[in-house]
Amino acid sequence: MSNNYFNTLPLREQLEQLAKCRFMHMNEFTEGVDALKGKKMVIIGCGAQGLNQGLNLRDSGLDVSYTLRQAAIDEKRQSYKNAADNGFTVGTYEELIPTADIVLNLTPDKQHTPVVTAVMPLMKQGACLSYSHGFNIVEEGMQIREDLTVIMVAPKCPGSEVRAEYVRGFGVPTLIAVHEDNDPQGHGLALAKAYAVGTGGHKAGVLMSSFIAEVKSDLMGEQTILCGMLQTGSLLCFDKMIDKGMDAGYASKLIQFGWETITEALKYGGVTNMLDRLSNPAKIKAFDLSEELKVIMRPLYNKHQDDIINGTFSSTMMADWANDDVNLLGWRAETGETAFEKTPAGDMEISEQEYFDHGILMVAMVKAGVELAFETMTAAGIIADSAYYESLHETPLIANTIARKKLYEMNATISDTAEYGCYLYNHACLPLLGDFMKNIDTDVIGRGLSSDDNGVDNARLIEINAALRSHPVEAIGATLRGHMADMKKIV
Amino acid sequence: MTIQLTDLHVEFDQGFQLKHINWQVEKQQHWLITGANGAGKSALAAVLAGYGDIQSGSTGGLPSPIGWVSFEAQAELIDAELKKDDADITDVISLGTPVREIIFTSEIDAAIAQDLITKFELDYLLNRAFRKLSTGESRKVMIIRALSCKAELLILDEPFDGLDSSTHAMLQTHLSGLAQHTPIVMVLNRFDEIPDFVSHVAYMENGELRHQVERNDEAAYAELYQLLHLKTTQLQIPPADTDTDIPALNPQQPLVKLTNICVKYTDMVLINNLDWTIEANQHWQLSGPNGSGKTAILSLITGDHPQCYTNDIFVFGFQRGNGESIWQIKQFIGYVSTALQWEYRVGTSLRNVIISGFYDSIGLYSKSTDRQKQIADQWLTLLGMQDRADYPFNKLSYGDQRLLLIARAMVKHPPLLILDEPCLGLDDINRQLVLALIEKICEANETSVIYVNHHAQDRIAGIDNYLALEKSADNS
Repeated sequence: MSNNYFNTLPLREQLEQLAKCRFMHMNEFTEGVDALKGKKMVIIGCGAQGLNQGLNLRDSGLDVSYTLRQAAIDEKRQSYKNAADNGFTVGTYEELIPTADIVLNLTPDKQHTPVVTAVMPLMKQGACLSYSHGFNIVEEGMQIREDLTVIMVAPKCPGSEVRAEYVRGFGVPTLIAVHEDNDPQGHGLALAKAYAVGTGGHKAGVLMSSFIAEVKSDLMGEQTILCGMLQTGSLLCFDKMIDKGMDAGYASKLIQFGWETITEALKYGGVTNMLDRLSNPAKIKAFDLSEELKVIMRPLYNKHQDDIINGTFSSTMMADWANDDVNLLGWRAETGETAFEKTPAGDMEISEQEYFDHGILMVAMVKAGVELAFETMTAAGIIADSAYYESLHETPLIANTIARKKLYEMNATISDTAEYGCYLYNHACLPLLGDFMKNIDTDVIGRGLSSDDNGVDNARLIEINAALRSHPVEAIGATLRGHMADMKKIV
Repeated sequence: MTIQLTDLHVEFDQGFQLKHINWQVEKQQHWLITGANGAGKSALAAVLAGYGDIQSGSTGGLPSPIGWVSFEAQAELIDAELKKDDADITDVISLGTPVREIIFTSEIDAAIAQDLITKFELDYLLNRAFRKLSTGESRKVMIIRALSCKAELLILDEPFDGLDSSTHAMLQTHLSGLAQHTPIVMVLNRFDEIPDFVSHVAYMENGELRHQVERNDEAAYAELYQLLHLKTTQLQIPPADTDTDIPALNPQQPLVKLTNICVKYTDMVLINNLDWTIEANQHWQLSGPNGSGKTAILSLITGDHPQCYTNDIFVFGFQRGNGESIWQIKQFIGYVSTALQWEYRVGTSLRNVIISGFYDSIGLYSKSTDRQKQIADQWLTLLGMQDRADYPFNKLSYGDQRLLLIARAMVKHPPLLILDEPCLGLDDINRQLVLALIEKICEANETSVIYVNHHAQDRIAGIDNYLALEKSADNS
């Protein structure tokens, strides 16, 4: 079984690696793709990330081809068609890997160990191996040949977005890192930067991080606020509305599209703006609920972060991998059977504002989840920038997949690690919130506050507004959103 | 009284023709005839006054008497006066007919005429010879005659021309009163002079009556305004931006050379063995049925088709697949298509949409320069959208979006402009707007145009190379 790399490091280095994350300046990319010009880039895997990154890199003037397993080529599987129909050279590991200057491993986490084990002996001396997620290195302790450079380039968006934004002349925010144990020629950063330019990421903002910070923050964010909280919240809110006799179609629609609508406000102006969209009495209500939720859920967030940091989470999940994903697939099937999942959204109109007014509890859950994830990550030594991206910044992306596909498909779409962690969270959080939910009524989920009580206490409102605005996730959020806005669309 | 012109063909002295005129003017209506210079506005008005040689079709309900003000009528009167002078073969200097006699004829309501003479402040001219008057003065006399002749119909062809602003205002007011009981047909080049009483607008082009719009149909009226603006303004394509230079191309090389092009997917062949060379300054029309691969060929040129890397493609000095980036290719190309419009779902301002053409981006992600903003504003003025520079693009009408995207494609003066069915989905007025713009571009002759369309009637002056695609035999 594997060796957890992180656990082999002394605490001093663990903390140093966790704290790595820096928003890079545009003028650090003036070399463009030069470091990769004329180099042979071979991508392993031709799914959504693999194909779309390859299309971008080729359109940036780089030499890209794909390597697939012999069986995938012989059977003309979808991955083969993806590559061949787009005019790429496709070959086996044996044919292409020995020619590669840089090998881009864009397969799912679960396949990393067998894939890397297969290609490493074929790689030429001094070549570069690139990951888009650090799990294999950090959690599985994969040892890479000493002469090889190991980097990570991780666009923080689904593959289709990576392509769509490039074609528009922009890009998606991208995280890069160099595995310091494997940078024999000292050019890892130059290669990672050129790769980020090749996919268009530099136009949208690049974060310089470490393998460890990426893994530990990514796992924490995805299993708590991003997927876990939204899944648990969906199930609890739906069942509550049905229990209170509300129309099932309405309840289903309010939840399916509600997360996306309220987190859109989050994306633009943080937790503060999301709560500012509520009436004053509703804002106070949401604030109080979220404070209550944070007290109840904090031990759960701590447990997730602790299990991630000490490797318990990854070893549990890898045991399930070794056991043919019995847990994962069983939990996925359970999700498909929930009442929310099986109730189609009604065809009634729900206005944008109504999603806020009737979803006060959902707003409270997002606020509690974002703040808890952020607080827990930073308490564990992860720098605020990373914690912001892996909590608040990505929540709207997951909310968007729920709006499009609900929970079952959301889980099937996200990575295996995210999905596994999401189920762990959900199973623990549902019972944890049992008593809390007993006191919940349709005024905070489904119907909204009655309109005749719009008065609030001035002192209380001032207190809450101040508390919202002074949370550390809001401070770093304002800074980073400012950076992004400088680079992003002038809209 | 209803005036009825039915499928009328009329020929005039100078060979000018009105064709296919179908028009009905009701008693309660007041019409404006408008259109570009030489479109046939005055000719149509003259038909109402009984002029022109009717070749076919019919007129009905033409009233009498008619009060007619026009350059032609004015010229006719002056001409007649001159002839009188010529006819006087004695050695006596003819003084010509005094203005008083020109105005106070038997058909005239003397009280109205006197009132107007006062209003126009012409009393001091009454005894002067008509042919001695200045153009403006004789114009005023014409107007007084027309307005005081108890007319059943008033035809006023550019009546405000040459009038100072106070006289102009006075006349406007007077006409509003007359409009209570007399139908008025006006010819005006400028929309901003339209009196409030005008209820209908007729738009002339190439001797045909192209559009008839009710004043209170605001959308149609606004489009007509824009069309007229485009047609009547001396279109000056705004300059390129000297700071975003497009690299110079070798004039000895073709812009585009496609050799033995094949586009195929695992289960079908779309294009097989196609060759196509586009030289600099050639304009091309590309046509073919749906599915014949028109858009695929264009996207091979623009670099948007992934198989541009598996074909023999030479564009703008680059043999594709040798380390060039698509942005190096796109800098030479301006591109418009329906698909682009679908993809261009951005809440950015009209000005930014035009500026994005400098960067070949959908949306604007770079800081623009003051000069680029100025150029964008010149384009907006050209399109008649200068008041909406900061208006969000996605709130614009479909036709206006298309016009704006054409400006975006043109803004950098690209060596190659690709217009993939630029008129698709546009109504007639917007189609003509688009075509007018494209013709201006072709005239300028620094850009090669590839124009793709289905509608044969959308031919563009200046395009003389044609490539017609057929459906590939393998593709059925």
